[in-house]
Amino acid sequence: MAKEVENLVKQLRPSLSLGEYGRLFTDTSEYMEISHGDVIQIDRQHYLVLRDESERSFGIEDPKYWVKRCIHLESGERKILKLVFHEKFMLKLGTLAIPCYRSPEKEARILDLIRGDMRFMQGFSRFDQKGNIVRIIDIISGKRLDQHVFEIEVPHKKYFFDYLPAILEKFVDSCTAIKLLHDNGEIHGDIRRDHLWIEHGTGRYRWIDFDYTYEFAENPFGLDIFGLGSLLIYLVGKNIYTPNNLQGYGFPVEKVEALEHNDFSLLYKNRIVNLRKLFPYIPEDLNFILMHFSNAAEVFYETVDEFLADLTSCMSKGFT
Amino acid sequence: MNPKRILLAADASENARRAASYLGKIIGSRKDFHIQILYVIKYPDKDLFPDQEAWQKKKDELVHTASNVLKKLSELLKQEGVPVSSVTAISTEAEGFSVAQTILNHQKKNDFGTIVVGRRGVSKAEEFLFGSVSNKIVHYAKDCAVWIIE
Repeated sequence: MAKEVENLVKQLRPSLSLGEYGRLFTDTSEYMEISHGDVIQIDRQHYLVLRDESERSFGIEDPKYWVKRCIHLESGERKILKLVFHEKFMLKLGTLAIPCYRSPEKEARILDLIRGDMRFMQGFSRFDQKGNIVRIIDIISGKRLDQHVFEIEVPHKKYFFDYLPAILEKFVDSCTAIKLLHDNGEIHGDIRRDHLWIEHGTGRYRWIDFDYTYEFAENPFGLDIFGLGSLLIYLVGKNIYTPNNLQGYGFPVEKVEALEHNDFSLLYKNRIVNLRKLFPYIPEDLNFILMHFSNAAEVFYETVDEFLADLTSCMSKGFT
Repeated sequence: MNPKRILLAADASENARRAASYLGKIIGSRKDFHIQILYVIKYPDKDLFPDQEAWQKKKDELVHTASNVLKKLSELLKQEGVPVSSVTAISTEAEGFSVAQTILNHQKKNDFGTIVVGRRGVSKAEEFLFGSVSNKIVHYAKDCAVWIIE
């Protein structure tokens, strides 16, 4: 078996040299068994596995055994292969826990829908020999947008007036991309700060990872819209603010003491949403949008259109 | 609009049972009303299931639940004195995403002047993320009365 893989690698990509050659897989059902040095063959194409992908959350590296970082031997391009892993778990969103499902079929369908739309990660899906749907994803060379924003080394006021308007222009385009999904009866399902990337070179904002889905409720787009709102709050604030970190960022104790229940997030009890209380130069109408995601909210955005109508309206006035 | 044609929106919750009970007590044995119990079945997305078989099983369960609920609520109205001949019960598949919209379309198409719906009371966060059938009915209903039973 190892010889077969070694011959394949030497034939297709002679410049590559591996210490150890593994097995050739045409059936990806047992994804835990597929590891470094193995080759996955799908649709007569060959993908040499380098490693399992992992996600870093709360400082802990969380391996995703069903996601393989690979080299496509025929082209030499690096790809991510997402193998079939059906999972149901409780997604904790602040005080709420929601049953969440991982659906390879959904992500494959969206990859077809958004092909060529560079506001999203790109890829395609193929079936392996056992009928498992494998998603073959292009790697985005870039950085998480939130990290990029966090690392802009200027005081908040300068960031707000000199950097944020351009960032919001692109963010609006990212929101429009989510609207495209909704218009086609799809949801992103996992809109978080680490799922919007800024691409090196082009500076484009690109959504990644849309395999989560839910039992659709009366408002099927609520989760996505809340995700967009949380992202907007981060972009406007250039950070997340809680009563615990305010003094560390130089806010006087009176600012902390002036905070009320209504100033905090509807879901994340500790997160400050009423950013105008911290940065008085934030225009009222922009802050008004943020407050839709706070305990003070009485009406909620049901569509991306409603959210964007408010956002573009206040952007058109400029921040002065 | 005919206010004496009443649409009782039902689901498998205790709220629907409460709404039916309340309606039965209000209408009692009066014969000049017609009550239709409507159960909107929202089939789960195929994406939630690993295969067709598991999805079909869930769909069958939902149809079975709807049928049971309709029987129970009809019986409850009867116990409150509502004449059997004044009650009909049907189930239908949700049109698109929205149960509320399906109920409103049915109300309009069939000239119901009153909609009765139970409400469980959701938190603000739940309403944002998931929406609320009863709130949506209140918001979008036209040319009819809406009774919310809490």
